[in-house]
Amino acid sequence: MQREVYRLKMYKLRFHGRGGQGARVASKVLGTAAFLDGYYAQDFPLYGAERRGAPVAASARISEEPIMERGVIAEPDIVIVMDETLLQDPLTKPVLGIKQGGIVLINTAHSPEEAKVEYKITAQVLTLDITKIGLDMLGMPILSTLAGGVAARIVGLSEDSLTDAVKKVLSEIITDKRLLDKNVAAALYCFNAITPAKIELELKTTDAIKKKSSKVISVPFEPATVSSPAINATGNTPLRMTGNWRVFRPVWNYDSCTRCMICVARCPDGCILVNEDGFPYTDYDNCKGCLICVEECPTNSLGKVREVHV
Amino acid sequence: MAGNGAIKEDGGKGVKEMVIERIKSIKGIPPEENMLPGTPACAGCGGLLALRHCMKALGRKTVIVNAAGCFTLLAIYPYTPFKNSWLYTAMASAPAGAQGIRDALDILIKKGRLDPDEDLKVVVLTGDGAAYDMGLSSTSGAINRNLDFYYICYDNEAYGNTGVQWSGATPFASKTGTTPPGRISPIGSELAKKDLFAIWNSHKPPYLATISPAHPVDLINKFKKAEQYKGPKLFIALSPCPPGWGIDSSYTVKLAKLAVDTGVWALKEAVFGVVTHTVVPKRFKPVEEYLQVQGRFAHLFKPVRQEAALNKIQEGVNEYWNRHKLLL
Repeated sequence: MQREVYRLKMYKLRFHGRGGQGARVASKVLGTAAFLDGYYAQDFPLYGAERRGAPVAASARISEEPIMERGVIAEPDIVIVMDETLLQDPLTKPVLGIKQGGIVLINTAHSPEEAKVEYKITAQVLTLDITKIGLDMLGMPILSTLAGGVAARIVGLSEDSLTDAVKKVLSEIITDKRLLDKNVAAALYCFNAITPAKIELELKTTDAIKKKSSKVISVPFEPATVSSPAINATGNTPLRMTGNWRVFRPVWNYDSCTRCMICVARCPDGCILVNEDGFPYTDYDNCKGCLICVEECPTNSLGKVREVHV
Repeated sequence: MAGNGAIKEDGGKGVKEMVIERIKSIKGIPPEENMLPGTPACAGCGGLLALRHCMKALGRKTVIVNAAGCFTLLAIYPYTPFKNSWLYTAMASAPAGAQGIRDALDILIKKGRLDPDEDLKVVVLTGDGAAYDMGLSSTSGAINRNLDFYYICYDNEAYGNTGVQWSGATPFASKTGTTPPGRISPIGSELAKKDLFAIWNSHKPPYLATISPAHPVDLINKFKKAEQYKGPKLFIALSPCPPGWGIDSSYTVKLAKLAVDTGVWALKEAVFGVVTHTVVPKRFKPVEEYLQVQGRFAHLFKPVRQEAALNKIQEGVNEYWNRHKLLL
């Protein structure tokens, strides 16, 4: 009997964002919308040691027939990159495993052609400045429902299901009715802001996958001195360059700065240094963009500008 | 830089008179950074800000014993933000780990294998889950044995690392993952915050203080004062948590200030059990100012104002300051 696995219309999606941006809720909005449209759906986050700002991922499967697959999606059809800087992160690799002919949606101010060249992506690329829409319509860079809206359009769900899904998912999280309405409007705006490309997938049979023999990795028992990770270095976290977490960049106006040192004392990460003349300046390699300095400066010598990555 | 106004301490039991160099303003904070940027902590972490100042006060000759919690993740292989040694223990056993390190250092000094000048300060670093709940008994034991160590508790009033669940430090009426306000319990957490300061103070440790990331001068002076005592030196830092408290990351310091100005968080110290308040606001702000900016208390204001709960919180604060005869 011939089994044509990919005759089933199943889309596998992966969302990549930073903790606090809403990748988990985005996948939940998509999964709920798909369910309301009558599809079978799975949505789940990839749990790790998450912090606000740390790279996180969430996945969703949407199918016309019951889904027998479980676990992390290694070869997605569609990838939603909610934070552009993740594309250069060697540990995250958002587009890893994307199928030829699949779709990568990038949250960026650049055009699809520019992004495709910049990040060397072979799959189809769509772009939309979701952060800007979030800031304009919600007043904050939380992109959960917006990314959910974009994904719903790409897989071809209906506008009504998306609206209901946003309402259903958000009413469990927030109590503010006005913010909920704003989210619905923003999700629908994103839904209509893109023209999705056709997903052209290379069809694979399950046999091709089955042929690869899987290996069981066994880890032998070692004494604690060997098996526990010991860090034999001091003060090397600056190498991690947390500067790419920023949505806004603090900028200085030295005309009014009085060198009061309040910003230096308020920075949780110690990213404000002092130059020879006693003026503070930001270590942009590591500044996470919490903007406490902007909030606390008594002379308003600090402002913020939207971070646009190249 | 430091060193204005030498203050003579009368000392407690059998403590030598010692001159402490207090700092007077933010400009007196030591410029040396002992904890570097690039940590995986959230942007605007209040606990990290408190820890950064604690590390400035403690210096580099320290060894940190870290119980499981948010700050375990500061040192993830192969990175560490610290200039000093760091050990990771299970949630309840950080003071036991500190005992082991203290004993090892003492033995090495006694055997002449370690120069007494090279001695290290043993610092326990835990969150409120370990301090208020799981590690309470091992801390009690360590204080009772008069173990010579520091204890820094960064108290963000919930189990923040696992996604904000209720802890013994969660205040009354706070929303957490496990105390969501709903039909049955519209106020969220129905239990009051444990008074860890009083619990620890009942052991009459040499030095115990509450600190705040928004008051770094007070924080550093407390560490300077604690340095003269041999035995447990304990610190509890109220640490605003942007994801847990539902605040913008830029509001961390503002919230820490508001906690002090409204009287919710009393900055105080206790030397051998005798409590003194170090920062008393001239005029207390209404507690509502502190509550209404936080997402975890939003259900007290919307969709209907929960007057009874709000009054109960204000009365609790008033009662505290009346008891200490400091409410003006």
